[in-house]
Amino acid sequence: MSQVIIYQNSNGNVSVCVPTGELPINEVLAKDAPAGAIIVDDSTLPQGADAQFFDAWKLNGSTVTVDFPTAQAHKLRDFNAAAVQVAQKRQLNTLAGIENTPSDADFTANLTAGRTAIASAKTTIDLVAIANPA
Amino acid sequence: MAGTIVADTLQDGAGNSTAMDNAIYGSAKAWVNFNGSGGTIRASYNVSSITVSATGQFLVNLTNALSDANYAVIASASSTASNAAGGVNIMTGTPWSVLTPTTTQFGIVTPISTTTATALTYTCVAVFR
Repeated sequence: MSQVIIYQNSNGNVSVCVPTGELPINEVLAKDAPAGAIIVDDSTLPQGADAQFFDAWKLNGSTVTVDFPTAQAHKLRDFNAAAVQVAQKRQLNTLAGIENTPSDADFTANLTAGRTAIASAKTTIDLVAIANPA
Repeated sequence: MAGTIVADTLQDGAGNSTAMDNAIYGSAKAWVNFNGSGGTIRASYNVSSITVSATGQFLVNLTNALSDANYAVIASASSTASNAAGGVNIMTGTPWSVLTPTTTQFGIVTPISTTTATALTYTCVAVFR
């Protein structure tokens, strides 16, 4: 079990200051953390799966909890960004296929197929809206 | 015992020598090797702590202040995950804004995109001045 320093940062989230051991933790608290920061055992911080939602940690008194609506929104945002990348890659593959077509007939066919694919590809999949319909 | 050695040149027994400036200005004034995921610190020199501000966003706090804030920071980061990025933005804060370094603190970010950072297993930083 190790001790760390925690405080609520300017974004409203939790900052965790991990001492290297070069100085006593009380000196680190005074030197590296703002007023109001506290020393806690790291075992009291969210563990396991909850630890991955670090950007959704909230400080209530001396207790850190996970704000799950925020965590969900962050995961959906990340998933959305990944989906956009997949859609963009599909479009590039389609365009590359058109460019490398050997004959005029194939070119026309692939061009039509490519237009259809591009038109139907979603550049943005708004999963937040899907999860929270109006 | 405290003391001072004054010399312009360092020389070993084989006659190899170097200017004292190389030892003074060419050696790292601080360094740290830590796990960006969780902030576990493996080893350090002249670093009092690492503050994890958000995923992949860190403040490096120096034990002893440097002479000024015009130091050079060299950093690298990598992960055991095959699809992870390995870049590091130096003197950067949240979100990707310039974070002016001080004599005792500077920020680094390990980005995975233009808007998102990621925590990388091996994050290493060295400071020269």
